[in-house]
Amino acid sequence: MTKTKKASLALLFLWFCVVIWAAFFYAPKAAGFKGESSRIVFFHVPQAWVAVLAFCVNLVASLRYLRHRNLLDDARAAAAARLGLLFAVLATVSGSLFAKVMWGSFWNWDPREVSIAILLLIYAAYFALRQAVSDPERRGSLAAAYAILAFVTMPFLVFVVPRIYWSLHPDTIISAQGSVKVQMHPRMFQVLVGSLLGFTGLFWWLYSLEVRLSRLRLRREEGGE
Amino acid sequence: MNLLIESFTILRKELTSELRSRVAVSSVGLFALTTLVAVAYQIGPYRIHEQDRPHLHAALLWIIVFFAASSGLPRVFVKEEDAHTAKSLRLAARPGAVFAGKFLFNLVLLLGLEAFLVPLFAVFMGFSVANLPALVLVLVAGALGLASSATMVAAIISRATGSATLFVVLSVPLVLPMLVFLIQGTRTAATVPELSALLPSLRAVVSLTGVTLVSSAFLFPVVWHD
Amino acid sequence: MPAPESLFWVAAVTIGIWIGIFLYCLSLERRLSKLEEETP
Repeated sequence: MTKTKKASLALLFLWFCVVIWAAFFYAPKAAGFKGESSRIVFFHVPQAWVAVLAFCVNLVASLRYLRHRNLLDDARAAAAARLGLLFAVLATVSGSLFAKVMWGSFWNWDPREVSIAILLLIYAAYFALRQAVSDPERRGSLAAAYAILAFVTMPFLVFVVPRIYWSLHPDTIISAQGSVKVQMHPRMFQVLVGSLLGFTGLFWWLYSLEVRLSRLRLRREEGGE
Repeated sequence: MNLLIESFTILRKELTSELRSRVAVSSVGLFALTTLVAVAYQIGPYRIHEQDRPHLHAALLWIIVFFAASSGLPRVFVKEEDAHTAKSLRLAARPGAVFAGKFLFNLVLLLGLEAFLVPLFAVFMGFSVANLPALVLVLVAGALGLASSATMVAAIISRATGSATLFVVLSVPLVLPMLVFLIQGTRTAATVPELSALLPSLRAVVSLTGVTLVSSAFLFPVVWHD
Repeated sequence: MPAPESLFWVAAVTIGIWIGIFLYCLSLERRLSKLEEETP
């Protein structure tokens, strides 16, 4: 491991410790939420953000695969999708727990819940397709085509549906004073941004681990033939 | 211009081979009929409360249409792979024409299914419509949308193994947003006499269809030639 | 000693989970580096 890598990993470790501490003790609790339930936002929102980020990484890798036909790009797309699936599940579970506390049931068919459910379905379908094709090159191009097709219909769910239907979901603006449409309390905002950065860093680390593993696998297969 | 002629040649080929075998038509039609009978027998016109009817009817109608379609629409590409005719088709026609021809065939099939199913649905389920032209618009938009994504998904799955089950798995996440808007539109057409009330859902369906068609035009050659 | 229902314990468990994830990933990192050296 290089020195910079070691330093950045140590930084990531400390960063998360600070973020977790700050989420519980530095940030005030938002008014209008039951008990301390608003603190889940510091973990739930970054998880959802990483799930969407992974979806975008998957799109870029898929497009690159279709252009250059490099199997490593296909492996990148698959790695991003795997992590995206993991974080989408985490976001769903954390959101569902919050929904139980706040609204009394785990699932309310809130538009955002529907959109994350469809994101999960897309990832599941993506892996079902990958499993059904044995030839690696064909698997790459079919999966890439499906990923791109899914990506272009996804914005409708994320941006159009929540605006048409009434939503229970807390708006991106949560106020500490309880009045609507006031900026989020600065301390909450700081912790949220810190957590977003931390989760993005964690995603990047996991992603690079996955990609290095796939590269090794590809190299070994080449060497074995 | 040439491409258009080529597409219609493909469409004609599809139609003649379908008229000869009638596999797609009979599977789609029978699926729709049996599901409709099962649903209508248990629910009928009077089981549902007056105020719930538009909601439930709209959802049931599109569920039947989607699943009936999924029993026949993937065939356009799957049969080419099964009969090993895909290779000669690849040589004979440009990918754009192949996609357009197959899309048109699926469109015809879906419009036929709707023309057959919706009147029966109205009779068996007591489905009353406030604005008939609006319903027709929704049905046509729905046929266009479902045909576009179904044709592309069919092209993808025909190159994989276990295609029959894979079609539903892959198309549900793509089609679900469209189905939501179609159900909403159908409900509006059933309850509101003004055509303008339909616009939001119709616009959403049309733009989703457009996006799917444009991206399919770029992606189809990749899937087809690999 | 804070009360059992205090936020302190939630934070402690969360940090514990994070340390677990971090150590697991670190061990993966080590194993990968080793494999990368072995593979030409």
